[in-house]
Amino acid sequence: MASGYVSKMVNVAVAAGCSLIIFCAASAQEAAPKPAAFTKTVHWAYQPVIAAARPAVRQQAWVRQPIDAFVLAKIEQAGLKPSLETDRATFIRRATLDTLGFVPTPQEVDAFVKDKSPDAYEKLVDRLLASEHYGERQARRWLDLARYADSTGFQNDNNRLNSWRYRDYVINAFNGDKPYDQFIREQLAGDEIAPNSKEALIATGFLTQYPDNHNARDLVQRRYQIITNITDTVGEVFLAQTVACARCHDHKFDKISEKEYFQLQSFFANIHEVNDIQADIGPEEQAFQKEQAVYDQATREIRAKRKAIIDSIREEGRRYYAERYLADARKSIFRNGENGEFKPESDWSALDRWMQHRVQNVTSDGNIADYLKDTSSPADPHYNPASKAKWDEYERLGKELDKYDDLKPNKGSVKISAMTELGHADAPKTFFNIGGNHERPDYEVQPAFPVAIAGNATPKIVPTASSSGRRTALANWIASSENPLTARVYVNRIWNEYFGRGIVSTVSDFGKAGARPTNPELLDYLAAEFVRGGWHVKPLHRQILLSATYRQSSSEREDAWKVDPDNKLLAVFPRRRLEAEQIRDSLLVAAGELNPKVGGPSVFAPIPAALNAGKLWPVSKDQADWNRRSLYIFTRRSVAYPLLETFDMASPQQVHSQRSVTTTPLQALTLYNSDTVFGWSQRLAGRVIEEAGNDESRQLDLLYEVLFARKPDKQERETLHGFLRAHEQTLKSHVVDGKLALAEPIGVKNPAALDLVRASAFVDLVHTVANSNDFSYRF
Amino acid sequence: MSNTTSRRDLLLGAGLGLGSLALGSALPGIARADDIQAIDPLAPKPTHFPGKARSVIWLHQFGAPSTLDLYDYKPDLIKLAGQEVPESFLKGIKTSTQGGVGKLFASKRSWKQHGHSGAWFSDLLPNLAQHADELAFIKASTTIGATHDISVLKLNTGDLNPGRPSLGAWVQYALGTSNPDLPAYVVLYAGKKEPTGGAVNWSSGFLPAIYQGTAFRPGPSPILYLDRPELIASAQQRENLDLLRSLNNYRAGRYPRDSELRARLNSYELAYRMQTAAPEAVDFSKESDATKKLYGLDDEITRDYGTNMLRARRLVERGVRFVHVVTGDLEILGDDENWDAHENLEENHSTHARAVDKPIAGLLADLKSRGLLDSTLVVWTSEFGRTSYGQSGNGRDHNPWGYTQWLAGGGSRAGYTYGQTDEIGLKSVDKPVDTYDLHATVLNLMGLDHLKVTYLNNGRSERPTVVYGEVVKELIA
Repeated sequence: MASGYVSKMVNVAVAAGCSLIIFCAASAQEAAPKPAAFTKTVHWAYQPVIAAARPAVRQQAWVRQPIDAFVLAKIEQAGLKPSLETDRATFIRRATLDTLGFVPTPQEVDAFVKDKSPDAYEKLVDRLLASEHYGERQARRWLDLARYADSTGFQNDNNRLNSWRYRDYVINAFNGDKPYDQFIREQLAGDEIAPNSKEALIATGFLTQYPDNHNARDLVQRRYQIITNITDTVGEVFLAQTVACARCHDHKFDKISEKEYFQLQSFFANIHEVNDIQADIGPEEQAFQKEQAVYDQATREIRAKRKAIIDSIREEGRRYYAERYLADARKSIFRNGENGEFKPESDWSALDRWMQHRVQNVTSDGNIADYLKDTSSPADPHYNPASKAKWDEYERLGKELDKYDDLKPNKGSVKISAMTELGHADAPKTFFNIGGNHERPDYEVQPAFPVAIAGNATPKIVPTASSSGRRTALANWIASSENPLTARVYVNRIWNEYFGRGIVSTVSDFGKAGARPTNPELLDYLAAEFVRGGWHVKPLHRQILLSATYRQSSSEREDAWKVDPDNKLLAVFPRRRLEAEQIRDSLLVAAGELNPKVGGPSVFAPIPAALNAGKLWPVSKDQADWNRRSLYIFTRRSVAYPLLETFDMASPQQVHSQRSVTTTPLQALTLYNSDTVFGWSQRLAGRVIEEAGNDESRQLDLLYEVLFARKPDKQERETLHGFLRAHEQTLKSHVVDGKLALAEPIGVKNPAALDLVRASAFVDLVHTVANSNDFSYRF
Repeated sequence: MSNTTSRRDLLLGAGLGLGSLALGSALPGIARADDIQAIDPLAPKPTHFPGKARSVIWLHQFGAPSTLDLYDYKPDLIKLAGQEVPESFLKGIKTSTQGGVGKLFASKRSWKQHGHSGAWFSDLLPNLAQHADELAFIKASTTIGATHDISVLKLNTGDLNPGRPSLGAWVQYALGTSNPDLPAYVVLYAGKKEPTGGAVNWSSGFLPAIYQGTAFRPGPSPILYLDRPELIASAQQRENLDLLRSLNNYRAGRYPRDSELRARLNSYELAYRMQTAAPEAVDFSKESDATKKLYGLDDEITRDYGTNMLRARRLVERGVRFVHVVTGDLEILGDDENWDAHENLEENHSTHARAVDKPIAGLLADLKSRGLLDSTLVVWTSEFGRTSYGQSGNGRDHNPWGYTQWLAGGGSRAGYTYGQTDEIGLKSVDKPVDTYDLHATVLNLMGLDHLKVTYLNNGRSERPTVVYGEVVKELIA
């Protein structure tokens, strides 16, 4: 789901609808008292950020970081005390999962638990934030917002083989602690700000992530939908404003008019997706070129013959294919506005340019070949007697070519995808569309910011030699320290990551229909501090990780529950189900199988054959790729990787602001029955036997340390020993049946020395323990 | 772990339908567990008013059949065939020129009226025609879209872009499940692979993932990961699950109020039951030969779709709320094609119609004889129709302006026709029904007011029909 407050679901399920106006209607939000810190007239989120003084607290000794004072003040106001500090093992598991996205090793746990130095926590947190896996974890959060995917979606779901460069840009940005304001500017206007920087061009990949259907015939509608998608995304991600509501009517709750919506949209009026910018050649590109060369060599002759056939009808074929577009787009495409000759470039308007570029971008040789197919039939009005032989030959060659599919590189590219303005400063006109309907344009609008948010700020648009300059003006406003929303929205997202609930719980709606901050002083303190520190993200994480708030135990407390059942005050640390990627990556770490490689083209880990994904999922040839971290698995919009999907991974179809937590039998089936997961359990069992030796107690200790960062207690130990004894008997009776099919541990150096039945019982134990709640939660 | 026994007994004994649980990611260290039922998102929920349909079987004819060649009899089209489309008929619509906005095209159909209602059927649907008096025709269906993908999305989710919940997801959200051992929203597809575009068409969109459709795959084990790992035998699995329960119960003792942890514990038991319930639901061994024949399982051409129709009936019998069936590709002149007959309409439609005609007729007859038709709404639908003018000489292009769909059972008005297209069957001229209206009507038949099925998503109170939709009261008996 895009963004959800699932726990509220039941309340709103039957909330009364009120005919047509409910599209952007009032939420079933509880009416929070208005914080004193904000004045009545201006919506709180549009007021300037003002860093409040640290509040006075009674339990002064508890405070480790300034944020603790803000949290504690509220806890004390409610007559509560914070929770005790959690034990170190729980802490390192929590912090490692939160920052890196997988469980710590027993050695890491042990070292931290035994570290008696006064700065043990600081050393741990600094180590975590310096890890390159921190950038991966942060990137995944950002990619959720960016609706990142490696394919376009819709029926054909074409590959976007350059997308990974944007993903890596995001990883590197977090690892290098790129200031957030710069991060914003590069993603919105990198091509304008630094047209010669490949990194900046790649950054604009943020804008190119919209779902697309290359076969769309209504291009006027398609262009409108693309720009709409980008406008709505930018409003939601950076400003937490539901600007989309104002496309069809003035916003029902926020002071954003329909006109202002289209003014915002006009910043993106001149964008074009470009997919053929040459990338710098590094090791990934070389690997791709090497594979590609093998394929090219093997298929040179076939491809040349196919090309020759297409070349013989290329012009007719292109024209014929372009005739499929609807009437209004054909006006931009053809000289006569209908069919025949293409409109010459000298006659292109800014809008024509978009249409022409689109047609070029999406028309493949295969599309052109349609001409041959269609005109082969005597029934066809354009029947061409020469077509049939050519089509038959083209098809025959195509089947021949398919035989070499296995040689094709199935990852990587040598190109960059970016959003640019194709070297033109003149933008197509943007209209106020009545009721949001692009077929009902009313009057032209010019770029401007929503007044309620921006006040007197107006865009300073300076066209460049190759671009309208519009997006730079927008990016500068969003990334400005004067913008009341940007810093608040981002620090709130980070808070939400750690505590499972933002200070503003509606993390992508800071409008009136959204929630109010539970702790406005804290929000503004964090925002002001963030900007003051030069928009660096790591110090923000560091402060949270080193806070007393974050160190609290998650154990239930009756007294806190009575006063604050939703735990808004954070008097207790919120335990949380691991996210999809955390589950898979942690299982891989536990099994000793994770391939820690950072970055590079997306990979295809095997999926169940029953999905029949065919060419949409060419499993990676290099088996080392199968165990890459989850964020490197190819994000195909039409085929979600099932193990992740079932645990509520982000849907790439829209901005995904918050991971939901659902608990379903299908998850149980997946985690318990998947051969892949079971294989990891076999490896984990092997690893434990190998490292702990034959002593059953030591094996159980190590297993628990790997998965839970703790040893089993007495009662658990008894249960586990008891299980092994009984289970061994069950398996033996099974063997007597003549079936010797036993699951063995994998990776044991001397398997001959194993008692197979006993070892197999242990595999079952490992698999079961890995399925237990203690693994899938962080406490 | 004797101290946990009582707790477990309490949980299991309470018999709470705690199949699944969706909670906000903001769940605090201590969750509210005072009413477990209230946070089980699949708990059965009351309808807004009494509705006859308890289940829906959504028959999506993928690729868009030409209803001009199935139901929408237009003598004028036959008369004018071969002539240019009169300009007046094209007013207000955006066409493409590929293959020519060809001359009016008539296929080689013969037409007859059937039943007391006198509904027209072409010779392509002889079996379905026998059920003329069960159907409520929507003859003036309209939608948006020039390509399948956006229109299929709109048909299923109400939007031209991916991201909104499908109708089945909304139904499940609004009504919960009546059989926790099976998914409440099941997708069936014919052919070897999933329909193109895939899961976005049965997605839960912004609703929690728990409401998305579960694809039932061909074969005896319909759900992904339903089978135990090969090397774990049944008795073994039971022991493993008992261990799991005892470990989870023991630790949950530290979080007595945490219903999410307990729901996860229970989800393993439900999964265990599903391992039996799902294969049983698709096991035809107890179906009589006569039944199998009724669905066309004895004939190669009808076997695939017939299997899905029989599966649909068995799922509905077992309380599944929404069965979403998508037609697949069939071999047409050497190529795998769906209903999308831009050319060779004759070969395409005679093959596709044959594949679905008998199975759908069989489904209607079987539902009726078992007394299930009154509570089961069958919807025959597609993303759009096809044009009255020809394309490529012997095919038809896409037509979102006027085409036929129908309802049967579930409280719909049997033997009735609503709306009509113009004289050549190109555009709706009377009582147009958009996908939103269809959704509103389906929900109404299930006892749901489409305006009151709402979900708060990022500040917006969303509903299945976006900002549109009117119940077509005339279609309700």
